[in-house]
Amino acid sequence: MSGGSVDRVSLDISIRETKTNVQPHQNPSFVLRAIKDVAFEDRPVPQLRDAHDVRVHVGQTGICGSDVHYWQRGRIGDFVLNSPMVLGHESAGTVVEVGDQVKNLEVGQRVAIEPGVPCRRCGYCRSGKYNLCADTIFAATPPWDGTLAKYYIVASDYVYPIPDHMTLEEGALVEPTAVAVQIAKVSELRANQTVAVFGCGPIGVLCQAVAKAYGAKKVIGIDIVQSRLEFAKTFGADHAFLPPLAERGVDPIEHAEKVAALIKRECGLEEGPDVVIEATGAEPCIQAGVHLTKKGGLYTQAGMGKENVVFPMTTACIRALTIKGSIRYTAGVYPTAVDLVASGKIDVIRLITTRFRFEEAEQAFDLVKSGRPDVLKVVIEGVQ
Amino acid sequence: MGQDNLSFVLEKAGSVRYEDRPIPPLTSPYDVRVNVRYTGICGSDVHYWTHGAIGSFVVKSPMVLGHESSGVIAGVGDKVSSLKVGDRVAIEPGIPCRRCVRCKEGYYNLCVDMRFAATPPIDGTLAKYYAVPEDFCYKLPESVSLEEGALMEPLAVGVHITRQAQIKQGQSVVVFGAGPVGLLCMAVAKAYGANTIVAVDINEDRLKFATQYAATHSVVSQREPAPDTAARIIKAADLGLGADVAIDASGAEPCIQAGIHVLRTGGSYVQGGMGKSDITFPIGAMGAKELNIKGSFRYNSGDYSTAVGLVTSKRVSVKELITGKVKFTDAESAFQDVKAAKGIKILIEGVQD
Repeated sequence: MSGGSVDRVSLDISIRETKTNVQPHQNPSFVLRAIKDVAFEDRPVPQLRDAHDVRVHVGQTGICGSDVHYWQRGRIGDFVLNSPMVLGHESAGTVVEVGDQVKNLEVGQRVAIEPGVPCRRCGYCRSGKYNLCADTIFAATPPWDGTLAKYYIVASDYVYPIPDHMTLEEGALVEPTAVAVQIAKVSELRANQTVAVFGCGPIGVLCQAVAKAYGAKKVIGIDIVQSRLEFAKTFGADHAFLPPLAERGVDPIEHAEKVAALIKRECGLEEGPDVVIEATGAEPCIQAGVHLTKKGGLYTQAGMGKENVVFPMTTACIRALTIKGSIRYTAGVYPTAVDLVASGKIDVIRLITTRFRFEEAEQAFDLVKSGRPDVLKVVIEGVQ
Repeated sequence: MGQDNLSFVLEKAGSVRYEDRPIPPLTSPYDVRVNVRYTGICGSDVHYWTHGAIGSFVVKSPMVLGHESSGVIAGVGDKVSSLKVGDRVAIEPGIPCRRCVRCKEGYYNLCVDMRFAATPPIDGTLAKYYAVPEDFCYKLPESVSLEEGALMEPLAVGVHITRQAQIKQGQSVVVFGAGPVGLLCMAVAKAYGANTIVAVDINEDRLKFATQYAATHSVVSQREPAPDTAARIIKAADLGLGADVAIDASGAEPCIQAGIHVLRTGGSYVQGGMGKSDITFPIGAMGAKELNIKGSFRYNSGDYSTAVGLVTSKRVSVKELITGKVKFTDAESAFQDVKAAKGIKILIEGVQD
């Protein structure tokens, strides 16, 4: 934690006295008001929008790089913060209210929340690609409010019951696990493959763990931070690789080819891995990843970094690579993620390095923003 | 006549009547109301008319018939953005729940809570008006008539079956059954690049039509062991090691058996036709030849727009299949003709004002 006294943000927000009986602290919310400007607000308890909705009392919320990015930059691509927005999208909680037509859930059930609900009507939704729906309501993507509030309203088919032995913290970790499961689905991961993952942050190590759970023969984790590699070896990676940094004046592509050759040699691969998952978004990793993939293999772009990079296109062509993008999740992915956690195949609790109370939310964001290598997943407890 | 929404209703097996029903409301802001102009009839409509049931779907209370329709938009909900009053559309008659796993996987034809027109208890399209969500209406270009629009439903069935078969350029396809669906499968297979298309049927008139329409060869079914039928087909159409693809659009047991035997090793078989529920199936041949076997049920994402696209681009023609048109007040005669296997597609015109 950063030095200095920790300001405890009190929830005793001054409530103006009015003649009506105002109930304070109905729905405390952590709001991004403008770039770098967050505050706690007491918002009205949200109401069910239709008979298929449920209201969840949010119990735990993890933080992701995208949350920090909106806080610091106010936009990601075309999604621009134009008005105050509740943050957070990696949550689990307890159902407290259900609409009349809700059949799959009961009040009191603990659930993992899938934070993006699509329109259900467009061509993408109808063809099984709801992650591409342009009209998705996604928590904490402007203009939609997120889950860092006491309550969150969501369609009942986008929450998934978690078994009694799973904690709400594990429930919150289902979201990044689902991201990894989707990456695995796009990458067609199956038993007996060799899989290399660039990046040993939460998504990278989760991809490594999913690959292992799916029966991969060899999983290679790659990162420039030694401590992250150490963790990866305890989580899902059979082999951890620390690439040398490029020497001054060396052509980046030459360096990428060299890194690819080094990985193959060190990991005992004559041909490259069947699958390369790029979970950093960093240009040198993308370049090395394309050179690393075996002929006819599959390269999946999961990490988001610079919009435009120098890409080894001819190599991709000559080696007949399949190159895919992966974004969010599709049908069946969340249940699979819950199952991987519930069955103990992936020990997500070990990803949590720091825990905060709801009123310490800003400190939590500061910590993630710091980019400290010993910080993996930060979770914020819900409003009690 | 002073009637709001004249409808053609099946009371129970064998008994139909005309009834004036309320104009269907738009229950969702995404709904449109269509003034139905043409409706084709299919074997399933006839089956409900004669038996009052198909499998577990039983007509327990009076139900409007019909599901193969086209029409003109007469009203739109507040959130409708792609259609306006006056637009000519083909109607996709099955509305899925949009919430279950099958729907979200893109297999909405397999939705457990599917509401399908004229499958009990859901009312069909043989009425003056029909309400349906915007995304289940497909605008017809000027060059495509409303009559052709009513053929989009069976064509979408044909598209779905053909897509299940994954027909590629240059392949050979045997289609069992030269009724409307079989014929449309042949036409779609041709559009998708199949070089050899063999029509098989017991009815020689239908076979003659098939070879004029889309088939390159035709073979008459005979009463014989299925492997013999297969051998005759292979010989007649020079299929060498066997056909790449077999489609059954008949539901008839001997055809299904012949379909398995007519395929080469590694070939694909698609079951589109519906007949006896349980049959004797050549499972030994299926296993030893490592065949890919798929069912095909109705249609899902992309099939209807593909159908409209194929007709618009003239890769598939459906006009020839329309062999008769009757007035709305003569609807029952159309059912009788279809039951007697007269003609190919008979259309029932919409309610006249």
